[in-house]
Amino acid sequence: MKIAVVGKGGSGKTTTSAVLARTLARHGHETLALDCDTNPNLGISLGLSEEVTEHLVTVRDAVNAGDEAHAGSADDLVERFGTTGPDGVRLAVVSAIQNPEPGCP
Amino acid sequence: MRVAFVGKGGAGKSSLAGTFARLLAGSGERVLALDSDPMPGLAFALGVDPTDAGLPDDAVEEYEEAGRRRYRLRPGLTGPDAIERYAVRGPDGLRFLQLGKARGPRWSNTRPHWAYQRVLDDLPGDGWSIVGDLPGGTRQPFLTWGRYARTFLVVVEPSPASLLSGRRLARLAATAGAPQVVAVANKVRNPDDAERVAAGTGLPVVGAVPFDPAVGDADRLGRAVVDAGPDTPAVAAVRSLVDDLRNREEAS
Repeated sequence: MKIAVVGKGGSGKTTTSAVLARTLARHGHETLALDCDTNPNLGISLGLSEEVTEHLVTVRDAVNAGDEAHAGSADDLVERFGTTGPDGVRLAVVSAIQNPEPGCP
Repeated sequence: MRVAFVGKGGAGKSSLAGTFARLLAGSGERVLALDSDPMPGLAFALGVDPTDAGLPDDAVEEYEEAGRRRYRLRPGLTGPDAIERYAVRGPDGLRFLQLGKARGPRWSNTRPHWAYQRVLDDLPGDGWSIVGDLPGGTRQPFLTWGRYARTFLVVVEPSPASLLSGRRLARLAATAGAPQVVAVANKVRNPDDAERVAAGTGLPVVGAVPFDPAVGDADRLGRAVVDAGPDTPAVAAVRSLVDDLRNREEAS
């Protein structure tokens, strides 16, 4: 099963995603939660600490730094740059805005 | 006054920005309200009939510079002209302009978006107050969508995710060399919530807006809270915020 949760800001996307992920994991499904928000907070909703959420190395940063050369697959990327949360949910952050320079808005 | 509201999605930016703009306009100021969110919601909070339309494609023309495609307002059209022609007229004489809703996966939004940005670079000056509602999160608020603002109001709920977003925005603002950046504590329930927001973001808190069911009730009705509940605690708190910022501006 592959689910994407979308909607207007504030409508509850992150909370819904986290509850779905935790529930699937509790039912024995291997679950990967991908935070695609450039302001990533899914870790908090999954039950990880603010510190882990904030300091999670982002996949994109790693790719930009050239580390992707050492990861041969998506599984490797998640293994290398993700973390494990409550109920065994794996979490990876796709991207985070780290500088104020205007790029693609 | 030139202010822009930023913060995490759901923090209450549109509700506060719309109420703030209406109260400014109601006090006799000429107000331009700007919605830079491609998922626009400010119209509801302003009490303006919602529309998905941004600026028309022909508001800009393409040109080439150093081998790169660029956009400028079409000849003869200035920012103030664009506002006069295309901004919606709202209650209390305010004007409302928006980036416009994304028009589907196969429709290019390039021209309306560039037209909007070119207007941001040529906003009317003396005699106008500008109130901006920016996209949620951290998407280039300081150097792109809110580059006209003299004060950035970071709307923060006293919750971990909202505080974290406020901290990130404060960090980006410092890197960007942004002008005055302050926080507004929103949906406050406890006496120490405003202190939590100050401690959690590192920003000075210039206003605290109480959690007020009237805001959600107005949302559900698709009405501006300033119309549906003009005497509610949230509206009173935004009125105080308007007065405080006006006093700060006059003092500076």
